[in-house]
Amino acid sequence: MNELAIWSEKLVKVYPGVRAVDGLSLNVPRGVAYGFLGRNGAGKTSTIRMLLGLAKPTEGRGTVLGFSVGREQVAILERTAYVSESKALYGNLTPRELVRFTRGFYPKWSDQAVRKYSQLLEIPMDRPFAKLSQGNRTKVCLLLALSQGADLLVFDEPATGLDPVVVDVFLRILVEDVVGEGRTVFISSHQLSDVEQIADWVGLIDHGRLLLEARLDDIKSQFRWVTAAGTDLPQTNFPEALLVAAEGNFHKYLVKKDAEAFAAELSRQGATVAEVTPMSLREIFLALVRMEEQCTPGNVGEIAAAVSSSF
Amino acid sequence: MLLHVNPASGVPTYLQIETQVKHYIAAGALVPGDALPSVRKLAADLRISTNTVARAYQDLERDGVLRTVQGGRTYVAENPVSFLKSERVRRLRPYARQIAVEGTQLRLDPREIMELVQQELDALEEVNERTGDLERKTR
Repeated sequence: MNELAIWSEKLVKVYPGVRAVDGLSLNVPRGVAYGFLGRNGAGKTSTIRMLLGLAKPTEGRGTVLGFSVGREQVAILERTAYVSESKALYGNLTPRELVRFTRGFYPKWSDQAVRKYSQLLEIPMDRPFAKLSQGNRTKVCLLLALSQGADLLVFDEPATGLDPVVVDVFLRILVEDVVGEGRTVFISSHQLSDVEQIADWVGLIDHGRLLLEARLDDIKSQFRWVTAAGTDLPQTNFPEALLVAAEGNFHKYLVKKDAEAFAAELSRQGATVAEVTPMSLREIFLALVRMEEQCTPGNVGEIAAAVSSSF
Repeated sequence: MLLHVNPASGVPTYLQIETQVKHYIAAGALVPGDALPSVRKLAADLRISTNTVARAYQDLERDGVLRTVQGGRTYVAENPVSFLKSERVRRLRPYARQIAVEGTQLRLDPREIMELVQQELDALEEVNERTGDLERKTR
């Protein structure tokens, strides 16, 4: 368990009237860029707050960098940089003053990093934080996180207010100076594209539950759309294939694994397999989330309506 | 070496890298002994995880396309393709099938399809010869 940057087992967070996190088990390897993806309100922020000791889990347990969540909070916070969703800091201090204020808390703080990143991110260091634009406030938060010398960097919606050029600069910093040095990045976001670019692992969360967690390239190698035509097509014994749309003789399946074997089986049963196509992360995300939200046993037809069909 | 990856496509990013490196080698743009950028440099340039680039390099090395020397630098290997014939055929078959299906779909007859493939082979050879000439001239 120690080789994992983040590990959790059946983490639950109940707020009055809401089960925000519902039995979440995460396995985040060290030294990876991990994308924690989900819709607004899926439970991403609640999960992060529990892992960092900022909220108490209702049930479940976990470790961060090998330290026990809840019991070893100081050890976790010393080694973890965290940029929260709100991006709020003391408004009357300038970024330069915020740096001076923050550096004392972190033994591995790097002033050299401050110089480098404040230049790369083009941060106005002498304007009060409250007078900065949303984008510049975000950049100050990123600067403080990047300069802590942390082993784990946790970002909650890091791209808030940033223009594409700054996002690109930020991604380069993460790749070269953080993941490239064997440190771990955990990015929580509902913006798939930036995360899809640098993440090598992803976890998809919806309604507080983990839908999928795997190496991104493995997901892309395995998930396939299979479209086929034929009468009486089987409700097969392929647990990894889901019928997502049907129109007349035409069927569209989402296959999570062994798509070629599934297509061969369809052919054997007399179907014409038109295509086995790769899926982008966006398509996988939409299909899984919609299935999770609509799927009750026996209503395949409704899923069919939900997952876009392009026959 | 300039590579381009499209992370939003359904093709795994490490495969995109592998395909482009193989293509550059097949076309003679990369020749045995050429150095490749370090994992970290290429990852930073492409804004993708270093782990993804490392995986592509490892695969290419396992396939005998690249070799990494002590100290970590990576080069194009001397005898790029070294698998058994049967393995090479196995790898190419899906592409051959795709050409057959697409060609038939487009109502081209078998002779026309074969001709197209031949033209592509000729074009590759021509590029190879030209790069060869260029190298002889510059040396």
